[in-house]
Parts: sequence; structure tokens; C-alpha cells
Amino acid sequence: MRKFAVILSILSSLVLVQCGDGKNSAQRFAQEKILLIGNNAEPQSLDPHKATAVADGKIISTLLEGLVRPDPENESGVLPGAAEHWEHDAEAKVWTFRLRRDNTWSDGTPLTAHDFAYAYRRILHPQFGGRYAEMLYPLQHAQAFNKGEAPWEAVGVKALDAYTLQLTLQGPTPHLPQLLLHFTWYPIPRHHVEAHGGMLDRRSTWATPGHWVGNGAYVVDEHRLNHYLSVKPNPRYHRAKELKNGGIRFLPIVNGYTETRMYMGGKLHMTNNVPPEMILYARNKAPQDFCRDPYYCTIFYRLNTTRPPLDDVRVREALSLAIDRHALVSKVVRGAGTPTFSFTPAGAGYTPPTPKAAMYSAEERLATARKLLAEAGYPGGKGFPTLELMTTSRDVQRIMAETIQAMWAEALGIHVEIRACEWTAYKAAQQSKDYDISSSSWSGDYLDPATFIELWRGQGGNNCTGWSNHTFDTLTAQAGACRDAAQRRHLLQEAEQLMLQHHPIIPLYHSERTYLRSARHIRGAKARLLDNYPLDAIEVMP
Amino acid sequence: MQPRQYQQGNSLWKDARQRLYRNKAAMVSLCFLLLMAVACFILPILPCIANPNTTHLNNIAAPCSLQHPFGTDQLGRDLLARVLYGGRISLLVGLVATFVALIIGLVYGLISGYIGGKTDSLMMRTVDVLFALPFIVLVIVFSLSIEAPCRELSVFIIGHTGWSRETVAPILGLVPLFIAIGALGWLTLARIVRTQTLEIKALEYVQAARSLGLGHLRILFRHIAPNLLGTVVVYTTLAVPGIMLTESTLSFIGLGVKAPNSSWGTLIKEGADRMEVTPELLIFPSLFFCLTLLALNFLGDGLRDAIDPKSAKD
Repeated sequence: MRKFAVILSILSSLVLVQCGDGKNSAQRFAQEKILLIGNNAEPQSLDPHKATAVADGKIISTLLEGLVRPDPENESGVLPGAAEHWEHDAEAKVWTFRLRRDNTWSDGTPLTAHDFAYAYRRILHPQFGGRYAEMLYPLQHAQAFNKGEAPWEAVGVKALDAYTLQLTLQGPTPHLPQLLLHFTWYPIPRHHVEAHGGMLDRRSTWATPGHWVGNGAYVVDEHRLNHYLSVKPNPRYHRAKELKNGGIRFLPIVNGYTETRMYMGGKLHMTNNVPPEMILYARNKAPQDFCRDPYYCTIFYRLNTTRPPLDDVRVREALSLAIDRHALVSKVVRGAGTPTFSFTPAGAGYTPPTPKAAMYSAEERLATARKLLAEAGYPGGKGFPTLELMTTSRDVQRIMAETIQAMWAEALGIHVEIRACEWTAYKAAQQSKDYDISSSSWSGDYLDPATFIELWRGQGGNNCTGWSNHTFDTLTAQAGACRDAAQRRHLLQEAEQLMLQHHPIIPLYHSERTYLRSARHIRGAKARLLDNYPLDAIEVMP
Repeated sequence: MQPRQYQQGNSLWKDARQRLYRNKAAMVSLCFLLLMAVACFILPILPCIANPNTTHLNNIAAPCSLQHPFGTDQLGRDLLARVLYGGRISLLVGLVATFVALIIGLVYGLISGYIGGKTDSLMMRTVDVLFALPFIVLVIVFSLSIEAPCRELSVFIIGHTGWSRETVAPILGLVPLFIAIGALGWLTLARIVRTQTLEIKALEYVQAARSLGLGHLRILFRHIAPNLLGTVVVYTTLAVPGIMLTESTLSFIGLGVKAPNSSWGTLIKEGADRMEVTPELLIFPSLFFCLTLLALNFLGDGLRDAIDPKSAKD
């Protein structure tokens, strides 16, 4: 039967190849040096102050450039971007960035330090409501301004002149350049935003593909909804001559099976994700192209702690304990991950706390789960309401949800219903807390445990669980202001431990990245923990 | 010369039945459908068929064996059991939604054709407008908008009858789908019924009935409706596959049956994703689905040949 399918797929691919000039699109686009890359989802927004998804971030990083840019050779290093050079005081609290004099926006307007200050003011503005505003909280008084408790003038951002930007931070932050790589720190074209509704207009159309203005290596070329978004080199970019390829086409393909099939059919140079079930197939069929990289990422379930019965910590813990993470990772994820009971992945000098649950034997774990559920008033799952488990329509998430649904039914006798949503609807429901349980993932924005732990601050825009704890917020704030690296780590550990005890989330596993990358057409791409390899450094070979 | 033998005249229905019996394809299809219905509705009750929703993570994507005749799926669930349960849901949707469409279409067409005049024009233009809108999109919007009340209804039913959720929930979860497909699938039938009504209305026996002073309702349902039966039966049989296809389309894009329950549409979707790795998951459900659709079409064609007045008494 397998043979039959193989013959059928060969025949159909032959027929496809026979059409046109005998070349598949990967080959045709490679001749024009255009990179075809699978990008998981249709972007929600190209406005760096509104985007939160990884797929959006990938596109924005090619369209805008921050003060620094990622070093293609070294993940923990940075290269000068819009800033030519920078210096900081002895404490690493006051940083001064000197901007290049030849920076211009793609419409020819000069780019100045005021554009940066304008951008930072916009994302932090209490009336704008930027979801990712907390990325800028290391700036002095940024949090207070964001909450409407301090004026903008108090925030540690000053354009000393048109080409000098001074950032004053809350505490010593030697890793500031790493933070600056994230798209929330990018500048936006002040003149253009003002012409399209002004700073605080959340519906502003300045970032629509039709009239894009940016300072990055590329500008938007064409956007066809659900087909692709293509970018072409920006002739006014200061390194325009150093780009290794002639443009990028991002294809929003949610379904990993479809994506893998498209890759095998010669429609992509690089995919976003190979689903676990296809790993063996992909490795056999394209052994040189299959990549399996470590990734700074955690897969977990958010619990809506504002809704009964999830407002009861015993119920939350019981749900968490009833999941057999080892079976999940070895059978469903096919080993492309590490089971976990804590949230932050180990790495960047940080060891996450080990909750008691991780030490339990399988029987102890299930017995404790049942006991907790009974204590909460639902012995054997009796009287437990039907909760809704929200997932995106992504393959792995769906079969994971079905597995966990069965585990809960078996171990606790409770029934959850699966609601599979399209990506945009999923994001909207999550952010308005219109869910019971939400299948989620978080990948680090920079190489530091804070990118994971600070997610759970009470005011955090991506918290979305309704859980907030004063002690936790204080601990993370202390860690942010801490000068001693060891003590900072300790404070973060303590904060994570506290969060894990309250179970606003169910950590499941730390995932790896499995994807396909054409060995024939692509040169230069390297594995990165943050999956932020600069796309302009990828060379496309015919 | 022998005097000519006069035989007893056959009734139209008897003729039709004989013609149907002679149509091999239709009869084979009928047997197949009966067999399929028995398999889907009775077999799963037997203890030898596994629970379709029990996962066995140690037995993922197993090949065909005695214990699992069709093998197991990506979560170790028995594929035969899933195909049978899926068939139950697909057939149920096909029948119930068609029945809903049938009732609405029949009444609407009868009234429109019988009253005639301006009312007729108005009612038929409404049908035209609904026809112009994309069917699938309408069904999606409609089923989403009635989802919340339907959920409350099912909670109410489970709460007041004490039926176990596991047996009732899969069926109750489909109610929005039944209503949505049924409530929007009656358009063609309404048109057909209306034309037929116009024709029959002008026949002498209806005029006789009218001159006898019979009421409108009596004329409609005693004298006109029974004479539409043939057309309606034929059309209905031919409509079932279309409606089953709609259900599988909706399930394919993730809007029909809720996991972990399956219909043929969701099974085919899951199989299509993994066809390079485990082709069985695609082949078995598709085979069942295609054969059923084919049989329904053959049967519908056979019925039309048998009942259609134009080919009768030829």
C-alpha cells in the first residue's frame, strides 16, 4: 500500500514537473535569487507595536532595522545597525547610541534619533495599549509611564540631537544590545505615522503593504492574502549592496503536512515546521535538508484563572498532574522535545526550579491529581463542568489536544471539548480571555530567562491567564534592578517557583525545531536558539 | 386465432417497483446501503469492535492485523471502529438534514405554486436571492450563530434526562449542523415542487375537487401532495449525497464534528495530512465514503428511471 502511494506521488510529481518550463518554483525563484520560505501564519500586523506572533516578527525584522542588528556568525553578538557605535557608563545603566548620518527611510526622509524616541513613546503610551510594551520596561520609569503614573519626560529615552540617542535604564543591563534585537525596539517613520492617523491611532494604516515606509534591508513588494507576502531589497538601505539574496517571499502555511508536501514538491526553499509524524519521512526523503535544531521555546497550556472551576488552584494542579508528559513527548511529539514541569528552558546560565511533581512516580502523580480534584469538590470528576480546550488549527496542537483530552478523561473522569480556531481568532480569544484552556507556546525574545518569567507579571500584555501575584511582580522587579548576576538568577528562580505553585499554566515540554532547508539552494543559514538568523544573510543558489 | 389475453392493468407504483427491481445497479446499491447502515448502526454495539475514542499511545499507526482490521491511527485508536462511528454520523447528517430540507422545501414549494400570482413571485425571488449567496459560507455563518443556543439545549437535555454525556454529546453537537444544512438546502426542492404544483393544479381532477367546494388545505395535501411523491422521492435520494458532501467539507475545514468524534469528512482530512506516512488512514475512510456516495447516486438514478412519469408506460 505504501508502495502504491509512493508510485502515485511520483507520478503526480512527474506530471507537475512536466508543466511549464520543466522547472519547479524553487528552482525558478532560485535563479532570480528570491528566497521562498514557509512562515506558519498570515501576519496579523506589520506594525511592530501591534504584532505579537513569531510569524509577524520574522517579516518585520526584514522591513525595519533597530539600533543594532543580529550577527549572522555569532548568536550572542550584535553588529551595528542604525547606530554606528555606542558606549555606556561603568554600571551599564546609561547608554549612548550614535546613529549613522546616512540613514534614510525608504521614502527618502532622513532617519533621526527622534524616530526612535517617537517609537518608544508610542509603544509605551498608556492610551495606545501595546501588547508587547513590557519589552521596554528595562527603561527607567517606562513601566510607570505605561501605567499612566508618570509623564513621558520621566522615561529614560532622550534624543540628545538628531543623531544621538541616550537610553537610561532601570538597573544595570549589560545585555541591552541583545534586547535591542527584538522588533519592539525598532524605530517607526514618524512623518508617515503622523500622516496616517497619528501616534495613538490603533487603526492607523501606516504599516499596510500598499504604502510601506521602513528603514530595513527590504521593503514590502506585494501582499496576496493567504498566498504570500513578498519583500524586495530597499535601495536606500545603508548595506543595500551586502544583501545576499534578491528578495524574500513569505508563504503563510499553517498546516505543517501541507508545508512539508510543498517543500517536497519544490515550492519552498525552507519550511517552518515538520510535524512529528513526518519527521521520519522527511529524514528519509531529504536527508541533507532535514534540520533538527535546539530551540528556546516551551509548549504549555494557559488556564483562564478568572473562570470557575479553574479559579481553584487545586483543580489547576490536578489538571497538570493528570498529564503524562513522557508519553506525550515520546509518542505524540516523537521525541522532538523534553518533557517539563517547569516553564523556563534551561540555558543562558539559568537552571529552572524542579517542582515536586517532577519527582513523582506515575501512580503518585495520578493519585495526587485525583485527590486534589476530590478536595475541590469533584470526586471522580462528578459534577465537573465541560471545559473548552482552545487550540489553533495546527496539526501538532490538535493531536496533542486529543491526547490530553483522553488523558484527562481516563485519569480524572472529566470531559473537555476541543475548539480548533483559526490563528487570528485564536489570538483574539486568548487576549480577551475568552477561553477556558488555551494550547500555547512561547519562544524566547532574547537569550535570557527573563523573557520567559516576566511573561507572568500581573500587567503583562501576553499573560492572558488572569493570574497576578504581588510577590511575583516584586521579585521580577528586584531581579530587573539587580546588579549581581548570581543573585538575579536566584530571584528569577524564586519567582518562577512561586508562579509554578499557583499553576496558572500547565507546562508540557520544551520543543525542538524540526524543519527542512534546501542544501542545494541555500547557503549560510545556521541554527539559532532564538530562530532569528538574519534572512538577508541567506544566500540563494540557482 | 386465439382471443387476445387481457391482463390485469398494473398500478403505476407496481410498474415502478418492477422497473426498479430490474435495474441491477440500483438494486446492488440498495443492498450495499442497507448493509452499510447495518454496519454503522449495529456493528459498533458489538463488544468485538473497540471504543473509537480510546487512545493507545503504545500502538500508534499500527498496520492491519486481526485485532485491528484497518490498523490504528496516529493516536493508536482502532480505525475500523472510527470508520464505523464516522459513518454513523455521516449517514445521520445525510438523512436528518435532508429530512429537514425536505419538509421546508415541500411546504414552501406547495404554497408558492398553489397560491400563485404575486405571492408566488415574491417567494420565488426570495429563493433566487438565497441561491445567489454562496452556500458553504451561509451554512458556516448560520451554524455558528445557532451554536450557542444549541449548546444550552444540549446541556438542558443532558441535565434533565440523565443520559450519559458520552453517548448523547456527539449527536447533540451535530444539531447546529443538521439545522444549518437543512435550513439552507431546501432551495432546489422548493423550485421543483412549485413547478409540479403549478402543473397539477391545472389538471381536471383538481378543478373537480375545487368545484366540489373542498378546502384549500384538503386539496393541497390530499390531491396535490401525493402526486408529487415520485419526484420528491427521487430528488431526496439524489440530495442525500450532496448533503453528506457538505458535511464532510465542513468537517474537513474543521467546522463539523468536534474531536475526538469523527465523521468520514474528518477521517479523510486526517488521512490526507498523513498520506505519505500512513496511506491506510486515507484509503479506508475514502473508500467507504466514495462507495456510499456512488450507491446513493445509482439508487437515485434507478428511482428516477422507475418513477419519472415521462418514462412510465413507454
